[in-house]
Amino acid sequence: MSSLKELQELIHEKFGIDPAELTPEASLREKGLDSLALVEFLFAIEDRFKISMRDEDSNIDTLGQLAAAVDVIRAKAPVSNTA
Amino acid sequence: MNQAVAITGLGVVSPHGDDPQAMFAALLRGESALQPIFPELPKPAAAATAAFDVARWFTKLQLPGVDRVSQLAVAAADLAMRDAGEQGDLDRERIGIYSGCGMGGAAALEAAYRGGGRVPPLTIPAFMPNAPAAHIAMRQGVLGPVLTYSVACASSAVAIAEAAAAIQRGDIDLAIAGGSEALIVPGVVLAWQAMQTLAAFEPGEAARAVRPFASARSGFALGEGSAFIVLESAERARRRGARVHAQLAGWGISSDATHLTKPDAPGQARALRAALRRADLQPRDVGYCNAHGTATRIGDVVERDALAQVWGGDFDALRVSSTKALHGHLLGAAGALEAVITVLALQRGELPPNMSGGEIDPACAMNLVLEPGTAAPALRAAISNSFAFGGTNAVLLFTRA
Repeated sequence: MSSLKELQELIHEKFGIDPAELTPEASLREKGLDSLALVEFLFAIEDRFKISMRDEDSNIDTLGQLAAAVDVIRAKAPVSNTA
Repeated sequence: MNQAVAITGLGVVSPHGDDPQAMFAALLRGESALQPIFPELPKPAAAATAAFDVARWFTKLQLPGVDRVSQLAVAAADLAMRDAGEQGDLDRERIGIYSGCGMGGAAALEAAYRGGGRVPPLTIPAFMPNAPAAHIAMRQGVLGPVLTYSVACASSAVAIAEAAAAIQRGDIDLAIAGGSEALIVPGVVLAWQAMQTLAAFEPGEAARAVRPFASARSGFALGEGSAFIVLESAERARRRGARVHAQLAGWGISSDATHLTKPDAPGQARALRAALRRADLQPRDVGYCNAHGTATRIGDVVERDALAQVWGGDFDALRVSSTKALHGHLLGAAGALEAVITVLALQRGELPPNMSGGEIDPACAMNLVLEPGTAAPALRAAISNSFAFGGTNAVLLFTRA
């Protein structure tokens, strides 16, 4: 499972950045997301996927890394719910 | 006598639009921007909101953590700077921002309270009352003093006075001064209703709910918006060939020190006298007063009494109107918006009406501007009053350029 496409759509919706520009390798900071925008984007991801991002996720720089982090949390989510 | 300070730029995002001349024309016609809001609230409420196209001023990437109160401020300040024209050689460390704000980012706080425990991470930077000034500084590249004045309904009048004082002292060469307020959210409207200061009205009568100085007055309606002016020394304005809208010739700031919310005529009179003294003018020199005029039972009478005390035998010659019947009470932005209206009245020689919608209270008897489209070609000086909860009174005195 990869959340990449959904994240591209969310970032387009929220910040108006064309999904074609948002390759997995692209630096989110270089695309114009400063630290405040990134924090708000993580909050939006939590809302959209009903997950809790980890504090260290705010240091992520590329969309690929972010998608991987979201994938890990979404894969774990059902397990942690029953634990 | 201190040298007058030149006003070379005007910018508004107001309930009557973002073009100062068109706004003034609508006010001159007596057009009310008040309308019903939040029908879900138990008690009917009216307010004047500002139409605002955020996309003209911000990309989506610039918007995280920027509350509406800051968005309006950035737009109004930018419009004022554009109106002021080419600045030439200007040291950015010698530009200052003097911004009034009563509450801060009300929409951000409301969203935090109503989020069901999910609080947006940028609530604090969005809400803080100095955010509007900070956002203007970033947009305009201002490196000098960037200051916020929170003095309730006098916030932005105080901010303008402080800016003019900084220019006279030579601290800065140019000031962007004014205020912003955007608190038309259900929680804040409920709080003002609980305070028993908002106008009551019959269904369909929201536009005429606010009746300053009338026998039938019952309080004000909230308004939102932002207004900024550009101030510089008269000498600098002359040197760069700037168009001068009017001059800020004097100002007076006083404190009642009597009661947190009840106005006080002697306190207001002290501010009025201080403004006249600083401008080296006599009451008879001033032809128009844009009144604080919130249409409360007590406030209107106290303001009339303060004016009568100071103007004495010349009181009949002073034309007075409160424009809050038309644009609502912008609280922290009220002083700045009404300063712009007063400057335009001087510049155009026309007086906006006091739409009282009925008989004037005998206790408020004065020379009110009751007819839309009143000309005043001989007008040379005018004042704008802003009297705050907390007891701070601010009076700005403008003279024709």
